[in-house]
Amino acid sequence: MEKSLSAVQGNAESFGPLTPAMFHVLLALAGDDLHGYAILKEVELRTGGKVRLSTGTLYGIIKRLLSDGLIVELRSRPAETDDERRRYYRLTPQGRHVATAEAERMDEILSIARSRNLLKKTRTA
Amino acid sequence: MPAADSRATRVYRALLRLLPFDFRSDFGPEMEIVFQEQHKEAGRRNGTTGVLRLWWETVVGIFRTAPAEHLAMFRQDAGFALRMMRKSPGFTIAAILTLGLGIGANSAIFSVVNAVLLKPLPYEHGERLVVLRQRLGMMDQRFSAADTNDYRGQTRSLDGLVEYHNMNFILLGRSEPERVETGVVSWNYFDVFGVKPLFGRTFRPEDEQPGAPAVLMLSYEYWIKSFGGDPTVVNKTFSMNDRVHTVIGVLPPVPQYPDENDVYMPTTACPFRSRPSTVANRQARMVQVFGRMKPGMSVSQAQADLSGVATNLQRAYPKDYPEGNDYSVKPSLLEEELTQNARPTMLVLLAAAGFVLLIACGNVANLNLSRMVRRERELAVRAALGAGRVRMFRQLLTESFLLAVIGGGLGLLFSWGALSLLISFAARFTPRAREIQMDAWVLGFTFLVAVLTSLLSGTAPALAARETVVGALKEGGAQSTIGRGKHRMRSLLIVAQVAVSFLLLIGAGLMLRSFMKLQHVDPGFQPENVLTMDIALDFVKYNTDDKQRAFFETLLEKVQTQSGVKSAAASMMIPFTPGMTMTSDFQIEGQAPAPGQALPKADFRIVSPSYFEALHIPILTGRGFVQTDRPGNPVVAIVNRSAAKHLWGEHDPVGTRFTGDEGKTWTQIVGVVGDIKQYGLDKDVADEIYVPMAQFPMMQASLVIKTTVEPMSIARGVIELLHAVDPNQPAARVQSLEQVRAESVAAPRLTTNLLGLFALLALAIAATGIGGVMALAVGQRRHEIGVRMAIGARPGEILRMILRQGMVLALVGVALGLFGALWLTRLLQQLLFEVTPTDPLTYLGVAVVLGLAALVACYVPARRASRVDPIIALRIE
Repeated sequence: MEKSLSAVQGNAESFGPLTPAMFHVLLALAGDDLHGYAILKEVELRTGGKVRLSTGTLYGIIKRLLSDGLIVELRSRPAETDDERRRYYRLTPQGRHVATAEAERMDEILSIARSRNLLKKTRTA
Repeated sequence: MPAADSRATRVYRALLRLLPFDFRSDFGPEMEIVFQEQHKEAGRRNGTTGVLRLWWETVVGIFRTAPAEHLAMFRQDAGFALRMMRKSPGFTIAAILTLGLGIGANSAIFSVVNAVLLKPLPYEHGERLVVLRQRLGMMDQRFSAADTNDYRGQTRSLDGLVEYHNMNFILLGRSEPERVETGVVSWNYFDVFGVKPLFGRTFRPEDEQPGAPAVLMLSYEYWIKSFGGDPTVVNKTFSMNDRVHTVIGVLPPVPQYPDENDVYMPTTACPFRSRPSTVANRQARMVQVFGRMKPGMSVSQAQADLSGVATNLQRAYPKDYPEGNDYSVKPSLLEEELTQNARPTMLVLLAAAGFVLLIACGNVANLNLSRMVRRERELAVRAALGAGRVRMFRQLLTESFLLAVIGGGLGLLFSWGALSLLISFAARFTPRAREIQMDAWVLGFTFLVAVLTSLLSGTAPALAARETVVGALKEGGAQSTIGRGKHRMRSLLIVAQVAVSFLLLIGAGLMLRSFMKLQHVDPGFQPENVLTMDIALDFVKYNTDDKQRAFFETLLEKVQTQSGVKSAAASMMIPFTPGMTMTSDFQIEGQAPAPGQALPKADFRIVSPSYFEALHIPILTGRGFVQTDRPGNPVVAIVNRSAAKHLWGEHDPVGTRFTGDEGKTWTQIVGVVGDIKQYGLDKDVADEIYVPMAQFPMMQASLVIKTTVEPMSIARGVIELLHAVDPNQPAARVQSLEQVRAESVAAPRLTTNLLGLFALLALAIAATGIGGVMALAVGQRRHEIGVRMAIGARPGEILRMILRQGMVLALVGVALGLFGALWLTRLLQQLLFEVTPTDPLTYLGVAVVLGLAALVACYVPARRASRVDPIIALRIE
């Protein structure tokens, strides 16, 4: 189903801190275009099973990211044989920008934590 | 898909219904397959535990997401709705005002109904309290001390039984002597009612012992009025009559029944009640009795138990209780006693307020529909952009919800402003009026009404919006079109509004007719220029007939000489007030009743000689009372016309005699006077017998003073004369007889006013509704009208055409309203005086008024239609 989108323009900063779950979804999509179930699996895999999103939470996030223009739904699907109810999502440049900004923000925080000896300097994120 | 999975999917699908429709339609199918995959994998990897964990996470996730999504959607819709409301301020103000008035009327009446009819009595175990009545022969009678003691001792259904009577004390030591209404009660009266004092204590058994120090409790109202709510009043002492009384406590604000008293005292405070001869006399029936049923006991069980006691009494004291069915006792719930007068009026008003709201809803729905015509483009564009039907339905409902909630807020302000008026209105029907307040129940009710209102006023336009979208797109949106269906809906709404208005106007019209009839009732005397005041003598000081007689004779003599006084009289009671009735049976000389036949009966009144003159009551035959009708001379009486007709028939009563004590003493009738409406303009005339005050002195009387000047202007002078006779004697209820008369019809007058107000509101809303719809129709049909005029139609014809169309709607509404009125006004029967619920004059009058209002409302748009310039109208097209 095609959906008209009103892309929200603006600086990445205007989105403010993302919730951890939202950030995870953006991270998952930073690698590849994925459908919903794949996003869940990716998040679960990357966090070693620590973050498990339910369908309700995931689609609440997807709706928000779509309306904020951080992700878009793909018009074409990779595999023609796929269940047509399945939809694929892609990070927009705006979304990438926001995810990067969030990662940098976290990085700054981590630096501070390291400078206060709360984290070992050798440890990588 | 395996069967187990499909069951899980079905459950999951059901769970998804918690999400907003839009969300569900956007993501539902996709969420479903994601869930199926999760489900499959969870089962494969972790078996039942994995599946259970998945379910838990899923349910929690949906429950977290759903409210947030609903709220987000509401915010979005509300923001949009507020922008739309700002864009059309005319519509917004009209809708909010209409709904505010409609909802306000309902909140206001509900606050009364809730406090008076719905809430439990503010006494602990109020639902178990009963009033006892005993009936001897044809008459309800009070209880004697011995009756009370026997019922208390023998009942098995009541766990408390207390007595009550009312008397007057005189409070001394203030700037002026003050009459204090006193409830005289059993020591455990307040315990049985479950009333805890605000300050101090209630009575104890020792307070009711003979010779105990005199104590009293203040009612909340008297405490506020006379002591400014001073909590240190407890333990203070006051001189009342001949004794010093100590205040032991202050009562909380509870409904006082049967009288609004200033203070309460234990039974020993009343010298009559505590006299040994009274206590011993089973027929000295002067107190009222209240009981509290044991837990779980029903009124019918209490009835059976008390009837058993009654039978015991009949058996034990055959002289004091008549045989068989001539003696009975009946308990009735106090709750019903307190509210039965209010119930019919309040329910009628609640229904009327409901109708006003219906009309308001209809009107706002119509305003919405009219606006929809102007919004067709916007809605069509939004539909084209993918806004689903449900989404738009929701958007429109949000708009009407906001309107209704703001209207509801305004309505609450209206009813809050009217609160004190409402309380004084309800106080004429029930002692529970003081409980009326704007509490959480009223707020909740108002909110509920607002939600219902938004559904009622928003559904029609929202449904119509669907049609609009289809229509507007088909037409390409160049020219807005009113779908035929939508026009029909608007017409239907108008018809419904007119019908309901008609119903309300009929209700108000009937009440008005009834009230006018009441106002025109001839009371049988002239209430103009009459001053009245009550005087209750100090029972300690005026303890003999001679002293009482001398007091009133001296006072009347003095008042008579006051300038501005035409004639001064005293009477046991003034007209239009319930007061005390003294009904007795007697035997007319030479008319011994046949065995088993009841003796004649009449209401006795004690009056001074000038009474008939002061009130202009005509003496029909014989004479009035004269100064020589005193002790030592023959005992005389005067009967009214009704008594003469009913009891003496063809014979002239003048010169005949009757006896009330089996022939020991005889009273001679010396005159017949005209009937008066003693108990109220709407009450029947009673058979009355007047006796002279000099021969039947009394402790308590009302002065009835005919004046040549405005009566209240001489009130002060009369009170000074009273204090000249006895400086410690107060007067109470100083008022003109016309005030008394106005007061006696205040309840129907106020009910009529309120119902009239609702009906006028309905009429105004409905009339503007018709006008608005016709104006819109004219606007829509400019082109057609232009064509008609271009081919020769005259303005007059166009005017008539539009008028005809509007009036057809109004007349169909009137016809429907007529059926409704014929069916519903039966409920008003109880409130009407000498008017039938189908009074043709009222129906005709209301139809004419409503028709005229509709005509005026249609005339403005019709005239505009007739002035359409065909050239301009055609050029627009």
